[in-house]
Amino acid sequence: MNKTVTVDVREDIRHGREPFSKIMNAAAALQKHEQLLVIAPFEPVPLFRVLEKQGFRHTSRSVAAGEWEVRVTRQSNASPPDAAPSGASPGSCRDSGLAPMKMVEVDARGLEPPQPLIKILETLAELSDGGQLNARTDRRPMHLYPQLEERGFTAETLEQPDGSFLTHVRRR
Amino acid sequence: MSAAVNPSKVKPAPAALPLGVNTPSVTLPLAFMVTGLLALGAGMGWLVLQPRLLATYHYNQYVIAVTHLFVLGWICSVVMGAMYQLVPVALETKLYSERLARWQFAFHLVGFIGMVWMFRVWNMKQVGHFGSVLALGVGLFVYNMARTLRRVPKWNVTAVAVAAALFWSSFTVTAGLSIAIAKCSYDSTEGLAAAQGVRTLVDGLRSIAGFMSRFDAIGAMHAHAHLGGVGFFTMLIVGVSYKLIPMFTLSEIQSKRRAAGSIILLNVGLTGSFATILLRSPWKLAFALVGVGALAIYGWELAAILRARKRQTLDWGITYFLTAVVLLFPLSGLAVALSWPGLPLNLFTGQLENVYGFLGLIGVVSFAIIGMLYKIIPFLVWFGRYSRQIGRAQVPSLADLYSARLQAAGYWTFLAGLAAACGAAGLSSEMGVRIGCGLVSLGVATLALNVGTMLTHLFRPKPRPLSLQTSPVPKPV
Repeated sequence: MNKTVTVDVREDIRHGREPFSKIMNAAAALQKHEQLLVIAPFEPVPLFRVLEKQGFRHTSRSVAAGEWEVRVTRQSNASPPDAAPSGASPGSCRDSGLAPMKMVEVDARGLEPPQPLIKILETLAELSDGGQLNARTDRRPMHLYPQLEERGFTAETLEQPDGSFLTHVRRR
Repeated sequence: MSAAVNPSKVKPAPAALPLGVNTPSVTLPLAFMVTGLLALGAGMGWLVLQPRLLATYHYNQYVIAVTHLFVLGWICSVVMGAMYQLVPVALETKLYSERLARWQFAFHLVGFIGMVWMFRVWNMKQVGHFGSVLALGVGLFVYNMARTLRRVPKWNVTAVAVAAALFWSSFTVTAGLSIAIAKCSYDSTEGLAAAQGVRTLVDGLRSIAGFMSRFDAIGAMHAHAHLGGVGFFTMLIVGVSYKLIPMFTLSEIQSKRRAAGSIILLNVGLTGSFATILLRSPWKLAFALVGVGALAIYGWELAAILRARKRQTLDWGITYFLTAVVLLFPLSGLAVALSWPGLPLNLFTGQLENVYGFLGLIGVVSFAIIGMLYKIIPFLVWFGRYSRQIGRAQVPSLADLYSARLQAAGYWTFLAGLAAACGAAGLSSEMGVRIGCGLVSLGVATLALNVGTMLTHLFRPKPRPLSLQTSPVPKPV
């Protein structure tokens, strides 16, 4: 690989901005000899399906608390952007037939138990079908896990550099 | 866009926790806690009916019986139930086995009720039998907790304190059973065949009794009491509060070194105190001072945590707990005074020992426990009954589950009763002890009433539909 294009989406997610199109646009512009490095606060699992459908392969690893690196390259049989049919937009989510991923941020820090649990579950109740949730808490949300399981969600919690915890919640 | 990562700013990445990491069902800790409350009520009622127990020297069967009712029935029940709930949450892990915990509850119940009854009728052989049932339960508890601690992803001062408390609780039970063994008489085993297990058992018990006879009976009893009171109860209060007080006051530990220092010193002080009390050594004072130093460092750190808190209002649960910490001052003063080399045992100093024990168990430990109960029970009930309805219905808040007025009334009557009972015990006044314990009983009654109010939510939950929360009530035109 001659060149690495880096997309750091941690700030986007922290500010509640949707990073999906930013990543897909960068992926669409990748040449055969290039790789895309995505830095995210959690493992962006839903992105992987979209990338695979569009002819990309990836590897992901956790490099630090709340920091994941995803390396994306074109599969050998995939066409670079200059070979794509005219008018096609590989970075567009609509091409994959999937709705854009909606990320909701909940900051439940500075609350006495069980307020963080209530705040997260109430937000989750209003989450759209494809939506995902990032919750920040002062402590690892031990009582949240069984509630998520019962409601059909799955979650991963990572300790942050400031001692708080980031829990990424998505539907099973 | 930047891919730069500053390694100095990030912590090592712990593995993400999977789902299913949780605590036991709420009924198990609640069963322990309700048992504890019944035992506290029974114990205080006993003292109201027989105030002489506190107004005279404590080395008699009734005092030993009522003390074990408080220690095993009230304190151990609540502490063990709370640990099954709190340790997995506070240390971010999962209880090793809820099934073992349920068995332990059964052994604990049979063991402590039988022990108290047999102490009362002074049948030491049966005390040993029921004590063995209790010890079996404690063994299950320690094993369950130890396996739970093995899963802790990151050790901290609370985990160390819990581990130390488990060690001291095992030692306390061993010492207690050894004292009971020493007070039994044994028939000759000559008629039994050597290969029979009974003969081996009796010979073993006899050698333990022989070993224990080297020690003074009252010294052994006091050493045993300190193992439990300081090693199990105080160790847990100090260690767990380093997690819970920051959690409920929205603060953080201010100095990990100070917190660790208090736990280390408490262990050193207790080790020395146990040996010197048992041997009636004049070095008792030195180790008492080490223990007092540990508690002083604990108080220092706790004050720092409270100064840094974001939540300014201290609710009644925290107030109860902090009162326990304040009561450590007179308790420490008494500990130093009673450890003074050459202190004669007379009517007054004997009564001071009563005050020391009562202030320690019903003052410090009970205030700390009630404070934590006012945090734990509402949460258990609320979590068990309403957590599944969050976002689906309007659920009551924790404060809606109990009466703050009853909390306040209970606090002041309990505190006034404690002061009166301690003063009266010091002066050997039976009437004063009766009045004091009567007031404490009133305080216990308010707690029971509040707990009853909380428990009604388990059977008659009171959620309201979400529409009541979001739709304004139309005004009549």
